[in-house]
Amino acid sequence: MIRRVNDVLDHLEEWLIAGFMAAATLVIFAAVLHRQSAALPWLWNYTSALNFSWAQELCIYLFIWMAKFGAAYGVRTGIHIGVDVLVNAVRPAMRRVLVVIALSLGAFFTGTIAVMGVRWVAFIHGTGQTSPDLEWPMWIIYLCIPLGSSLMCYRFLQVLTRFVRSGQLPEHTLGSAEEDPA
Amino acid sequence: MNVALILVILLALLLTGTPISIALGMTVLTFLALFSSFSIETVDIVSQRLFTGLESFAIMAVPFFVLSGTFLTEGGIARRIIRFALALVGWMRGGLAIAAILACTFFATISGSSPATVVAIGSIMLPAMIRHGYPKRFAVGVITTSGSLGILIPPSIVMIIYAVSTSESAGKLFIAGIVPGILLAGVLMLVTYVTARRKNFPTLPRASGREIWVSFKEAFWGLMLVVIVMGGIYGGVFTPTEAAAVSAVYAFIAAVFIYRGLTWRQVPKVLLSAANTSAMLLYIITNAILFSFLLTSEQIPQALSQWVIGQQLSPWMFLIAVNVALLVAGQFMEPSSIILILAPLLVPIAKNLGIDPIHLGVIMTVNMEIGMIHPPVGLNLFVASHIAKMGLTEVSIACLPWVFVLLAYLILITYVPAVSLWLPNLLY
Repeated sequence: MIRRVNDVLDHLEEWLIAGFMAAATLVIFAAVLHRQSAALPWLWNYTSALNFSWAQELCIYLFIWMAKFGAAYGVRTGIHIGVDVLVNAVRPAMRRVLVVIALSLGAFFTGTIAVMGVRWVAFIHGTGQTSPDLEWPMWIIYLCIPLGSSLMCYRFLQVLTRFVRSGQLPEHTLGSAEEDPA
Repeated sequence: MNVALILVILLALLLTGTPISIALGMTVLTFLALFSSFSIETVDIVSQRLFTGLESFAIMAVPFFVLSGTFLTEGGIARRIIRFALALVGWMRGGLAIAAILACTFFATISGSSPATVVAIGSIMLPAMIRHGYPKRFAVGVITTSGSLGILIPPSIVMIIYAVSTSESAGKLFIAGIVPGILLAGVLMLVTYVTARRKNFPTLPRASGREIWVSFKEAFWGLMLVVIVMGGIYGGVFTPTEAAAVSAVYAFIAAVFIYRGLTWRQVPKVLLSAANTSAMLLYIITNAILFSFLLTSEQIPQALSQWVIGQQLSPWMFLIAVNVALLVAGQFMEPSSIILILAPLLVPIAKNLGIDPIHLGVIMTVNMEIGMIHPPVGLNLFVASHIAKMGLTEVSIACLPWVFVLLAYLILITYVPAVSLWLPNLLY
């Protein structure tokens, strides 16, 4: 059961952040094309009716959402780098202790931010603020702070339990070698 | 007093190995909890900053350039650029290594990130150099170092962050990076050539004019990106962020339709990997902004700037101090956090001393290049150690001679402002 939930969560997270990335790119690309189309009178006849003044705002919100959920995904992929001089220099038993402290700090920090985020969203909800261009309710936009940070906290706890059980940490991997060009 | 305390908390957190972003954020929370009674107002300001800190269209050039870089790396564009570079300089003594530097230079003109440049060029050139009998350490050193050109030659993610945090023009800073970037590429090639002559590294057969032309035509669509980005920004067609978005779309088209290095089905994976990297950067940026908010609310910038002015430092002494401070900071943090925290502190002082902020931006960028090939948090080292299947320590040793080359170059950039300022002053 928990495994099923985790699977769904993993996929949802991946689709969300990849989708935000693609959407933001397309929105700004479309806005640039739209502005440039003003130089072509025959095209401008059709495109002048469109309005892209909201594009920048939407792009910013999409990327902030991507950043908050992507940061959680990053815990899972081990992309958040830290300073490992001390961790690599000490004895294995000590290293274990440091890693557990580091991961618990991560969980504690993101958990605290999540709680603060809930408070903040509730406050904004009370003010009834809307965004300047899109006129969307701000509390929904700010939801990414508590949601993203709780997910990140959950990811830190997941990595922590796995480390305590098996001693393994997620490691970020990159592209591999290719054929000889010369 | 407070400065010392903030630094002690930060250092203690960093040493546990917790991510830099988390350490920055935790420092802020710890300090507020201990010393400013942690009132509801400060809590709300912190929560608000977590969102509004990122609410800037200029910062969003970062994820766009990361995406464009990922398409370029995965899309078979690097391979064409390498072929072209090999056709041009492969016949020289140590040709493969010189071509690697040239390829990094070309790739840097279309990518804004150093680690991405190391991956793109290094994953092909490193195995090739080793196969052709280059000492492994030399090969790794060349690739890791010339990959750092990625942030000096425009476009550059580090320069965008500098421009955002100091309200300077990103376009002007980009232009300022051109001459220093080409000069550094030249210096690296010269050092490589001299070493190659001394140690008798292999050469490749000379490419015919036809081969050069064919390889140029192949690489042309990739290299066109620099014309679109720089031409677009400088010609006022679009802002740097829009240029970055257009470059991401262009890189996608080049990778999927022109070079066919990627299939449609691989596109979501590229998006995800770019989102992963850019979310990490944006998360660091958020927490670094929070951290500089703490510094500002403790009035540390003012105190620092008054202290420096009180010391009656001459500009050249100030620049020595800046370089030392940046090199030390580069030991603990990665470029975006250093720039976000230090640039707003340094720029007002520099202006006071008559130093051009654009010049300071180039100095900081070169400093960040050194930090990237220097342990413990050199990003290029991580990437290179992965590609070369070598330990981090060994890669660091391989890069050590190059650190000295870059330090010498840093002195040149610091004390000859014309290298950085001549071109932007001519154009703006």
